[in-house]
Amino acid sequence: MADQPVLSVCNLDVTAHLPSGDAPVLSDVSFDLATGEVLGVIGESGAGMTVLSRAIVNWLPNPLAVTKGEILFYGKNMSTMSQEEARVLRGKEIAYIGSDPTTALDPTVPIGQHLVSKLMAVSPELSKAQARQRILDLFDAVRIPSPKARFNEFPFQFSGGMMQRVMIVDALSADPTLLIADNITQPLDVTIAKQIVRLLNGLRDDFDTSIIFVSASLPMACDISQRLLVLQKGRVLEQATPQTLIDTPQTNYSRRLIEKVPRIWEVDHIPSASESQRPILSVRNAAKTYHTKDHDKVFGTQAVKAVRDVSFDILEGENFGIVGESGCGKSTLSRLLSWIEAPDRGDIFFDGKSISAMSAKEIKGLRCQFQLILQDPYTSLPAHMTITQIIGEPLIIHRLASGKALRERVAEVMQEVGLALDTGDKLPFQLSASQRQRVNIARAMVMKPRLLILDETLSSLDQLEQARLLELFDKLQAEHKFTYIFISHDLALVRRACARIGVMYLGRMVEIAENQELFFEPRHPYSRAMLSAMPTIEKNRYDAKTHLLDGEPPSPVDIPSGCSFRTRCPNAVEACKTLDPTLRTNGTTLVECHLYEVSVQETQSA
Amino acid sequence: MAFFLSFMLRRLTQGLLIILIVGFVIFALLRIIPGDPVRIIVGPMATETQIEEIAKDLGLRDPLVVQFGRYLVELSNGDMGNSFIKNKSGANVVMGRSSEGLDNKASVFDLIVAAAPYSIQLAGLSVVFALMFSLPVGIAAGLRPDSWINKISFGISSIFVSLPNIWLGILLILILSTKLHWLPAIGYKGFSYTILPAIVLAIELSSVIVRALSSSVTSAMQETYIQAGVVRGLSVGHMIRHHVLRNAAIPMLNLFGAQLGGLLLGSIFVVEYIFNYPGLGLLTINAVFQRDFPVIQGVAILTTAVLVLINIVVDLISASIDRRLQY
Amino acid sequence: MEKEKAHFWHTVNGRMLSTAWKRPGFKLGLFVFVFLLLMALILPALSDVSATKISVRERFLPPVLMGNANTAHLFGTDQLGRDLLLRSLVGLQNALLIGVLAVVGMFIFGAVIGIVSGYRGGLVDTILMRITDAQMSIPVVILAITILGVARPTPFSVIVVLVLAGWPTYARVARSAALSESKKEYVRAAKIIGASNLRIMARHIAPNILPPIAFIGVLDVARMMIFEAIFGFIGIGIQPPTPTFGNILADGTKYLINAWWITVIPGLFLFAALLSLNSIGNALEKARNDVFGGHS
Repeated sequence: MADQPVLSVCNLDVTAHLPSGDAPVLSDVSFDLATGEVLGVIGESGAGMTVLSRAIVNWLPNPLAVTKGEILFYGKNMSTMSQEEARVLRGKEIAYIGSDPTTALDPTVPIGQHLVSKLMAVSPELSKAQARQRILDLFDAVRIPSPKARFNEFPFQFSGGMMQRVMIVDALSADPTLLIADNITQPLDVTIAKQIVRLLNGLRDDFDTSIIFVSASLPMACDISQRLLVLQKGRVLEQATPQTLIDTPQTNYSRRLIEKVPRIWEVDHIPSASESQRPILSVRNAAKTYHTKDHDKVFGTQAVKAVRDVSFDILEGENFGIVGESGCGKSTLSRLLSWIEAPDRGDIFFDGKSISAMSAKEIKGLRCQFQLILQDPYTSLPAHMTITQIIGEPLIIHRLASGKALRERVAEVMQEVGLALDTGDKLPFQLSASQRQRVNIARAMVMKPRLLILDETLSSLDQLEQARLLELFDKLQAEHKFTYIFISHDLALVRRACARIGVMYLGRMVEIAENQELFFEPRHPYSRAMLSAMPTIEKNRYDAKTHLLDGEPPSPVDIPSGCSFRTRCPNAVEACKTLDPTLRTNGTTLVECHLYEVSVQETQSA
Repeated sequence: MAFFLSFMLRRLTQGLLIILIVGFVIFALLRIIPGDPVRIIVGPMATETQIEEIAKDLGLRDPLVVQFGRYLVELSNGDMGNSFIKNKSGANVVMGRSSEGLDNKASVFDLIVAAAPYSIQLAGLSVVFALMFSLPVGIAAGLRPDSWINKISFGISSIFVSLPNIWLGILLILILSTKLHWLPAIGYKGFSYTILPAIVLAIELSSVIVRALSSSVTSAMQETYIQAGVVRGLSVGHMIRHHVLRNAAIPMLNLFGAQLGGLLLGSIFVVEYIFNYPGLGLLTINAVFQRDFPVIQGVAILTTAVLVLINIVVDLISASIDRRLQY
Repeated sequence: MEKEKAHFWHTVNGRMLSTAWKRPGFKLGLFVFVFLLLMALILPALSDVSATKISVRERFLPPVLMGNANTAHLFGTDQLGRDLLLRSLVGLQNALLIGVLAVVGMFIFGAVIGIVSGYRGGLVDTILMRITDAQMSIPVVILAITILGVARPTPFSVIVVLVLAGWPTYARVARSAALSESKKEYVRAAKIIGASNLRIMARHIAPNILPPIAFIGVLDVARMMIFEAIFGFIGIGIQPPTPTFGNILADGTKYLINAWWITVIPGLFLFAALLSLNSIGNALEKARNDVFGGHS
């Protein structure tokens, strides 16, 4: 049994039976998987990676079916087994974890119940108490805090990262021989994803499970796999160890895959700092708290401190980046910066004038000067208006132009962003994603603003489109002297696009540094943690073992006293519990940490 | 626990407010519609002065709000006023020249209490019939969305929903009672008199239940976690028993509260009228013909209160099945 | 020009209609309904036989299929010799008129309240929703009895009662649709470019959420027609001599044993109209679910 491969896929064909005809999805796929081995499956999206992993567990959605070939589990043909045999095999020996943990379990049933019923269904020899204990032990192993309490909670009470840990417990509870991880880190933040991958690596040693790790991210697959399988359009192109593949890719496709991974440290061109020193937008001690119902009390609310005491300047003509992970407050900050909501405390100054002191009319006029471009090209355009109407709407609202003058101005702007003139009469659904983003940009530009806030604008585009749009931004900036604020979770993007970058954590700006400094000499431990978690094929300057943090950020309802980062900080001292650090300057970098006090006099005079 | 308390507090106060508003609206409507209520009580023979005297006695000339206030106070004591028409003996008597016999009027509360058990029996039986038919058909149709079961159930529910209950009632009386003599139809002389009206109501209810149930079961079956459960090693039967039915029940509960409650309470009136069945419906409709306002008022407030209560209970059960509703 | 034609069938509304068209139930229902509608509109005007003309000689004539030789009255006559076919068709006219007007009324009223409530949120939402709840707590028949039962019912007041009974459902649906639309990015984008709330509600949210709701309105026309008949039956609908299904059925019950066709025939017409309307409505509902992928 030890010599026989756990899984043998032989000449597998999967076809989609569509009304318009049969379309091949997988063609002649063959590979073996040995006991305890980790096989990474990579390729472009649409290459068939998920279809392959689903085919192995016999979960192909309706029009798809296996039309040729075999899948052998320890030599036994899976398609010729009886229903009952297959069912037991699936739960007990082969486990599958998908990319969307939120839809994997019935939301009306507590987590513990789910996991125990699955375990007892595939291992009927266990008693209920034994099953429960096993699950709790596994909760510990995957580092879920307060396991007994969380055992009784419901799926919607778990964050994405915690839910994936739960699904890992579910998969490993029956001690399977094979684990299929299908893009499990896709919906997760970078640092959480890194934690999960390291966790999986560790567990593999304990459980001696073979893993098929499907991933859209080449660096992530390289991290965990001993061997890589490259898929293109349903065919296996090559198989190699990660190092061999990166050093000597055998096909052009593989070469392209490797090139597409964004470089973080070895970048050709980073934007230079702005010439002007004049701030166009200044934020002073802005804070925003939301009040939601406290479910543990009959009456009463809890305060969600989304943004707490943020202060920074944005200089005219520069590219400023704001990065952070989920829950850091950057979406709220984006709403404050574009004045859709007013801060509870503090103020924002545009061109030196306080926005909170302005009347509603003045603010409406201000909207011509700074604009926001959103992320989702599919939902940010009203579906029932033509492109010309969409781009022209701001002109109508602010009574700047109408009729012929409006059409001319719209055509002018469309040309600038690279949209063909005949797209004006089309409806949004007829355009591609990057065309729609250009419409977004055109709509923002039509009023000749001075400041553009890009809120995750490029996140849903692929590498090539991102590069093209960044070029467009450069061009527009050179001509119109825009100032850009990039808000993103993607460090690789801000590396290429921004001259100065601010890092947010739990509602605060914990570090503001120039591009080169942030990536080569980050001061704040959280910045180092984010860098250490970046998926990259370059040698990471920051080793995950040293710098990656444990666990997840505390809830914004229950923020630790003193420095909010201290619960996860490797350098925390006693003082961190009581003193709330503010941004302290250290040359061109500002860091929110006591340990960077430049001198006692400076802090006393501040 | 906190959820339960805050929920009940919120809903009971809202419910009370709703009943008060509705009660006042109905009260006002009945008073301001043309036609002096006193005339109805007294009959066409009385003189103007007599009318004014009696009106003042009954407090019918006071401002509307005062009258309503008085009504509420009496209501809290269980007194819903007296019928304008019906006598305690059960006879409908419009008064003669004098104001005698005013004290002989039956209390609305008594009238309601006498008629209610019949209506409850009818409502109960129709719900039982409806569920006996709809539950198996709806669930079976929902579990197999592309099968003939589904198509037939859809067709049946379309036919049911297009049958006006009055026409259906008449048809059934004609066929099952008059021509075939299988079931009695008019009035009430025993439990079997409840069956025919219950069938009519059950058909009306079923048309709504079957459709909603099958679509809700189909939706629940298509949720990712059902298929994911099978991949995790649980049997299809387990998923259906423990997850599909449970999740399908939630939108159904919603339905029971709002739509079905309203439907039942409304249609029962009409059906009772057709079959001359002595429940609250017959009482109310006769009251409409005779312009017996206190009876209409009393029944209206009662039905509103019942509907509010049903909604509260339904929402509570929903929230305990699906915890997300508590948040 | 060609581009514009392509537009409609690819827009959401166009896709709903073309999906519905593919179902046999839709085509059949539409055919039957249009047929009945045309008959109801044209026949009473053309025929020299009147719906209200009383003819003592021709009382209690059964339908032709049962042995009646008098072909002037294909479907028989009632107790006053009035032709049943004509009476049914005129009744259908009235029923449809009331049904359609009522649905239009409750749709407009409910949608406006729902959109304002869902988009604005806060206190406005709470108050409007409580009013909606209160309205929903009154069963239709009670409301009808209260309003129509004590005053003289006119077509207008019947429509008002139906609108009052029906608007809360539309308000609820519109509110939940508006609530989820408000969270979408294009609404945020509209706020950022400076659009006023009114503009957003009227120009952005309404055109997106109203068509799918409107398509389902067809089913409600059928429901309202049933209510209209019920009101008439218990005497609080449009009063005689105007023929309405309620009146006709109520009258006919007296003669059920001997001249059962007086109630059955008009009921059959109503049933046919309702069944065809419901088929159309069901097909539209299924099409809407297919296009939108779920319940709204």
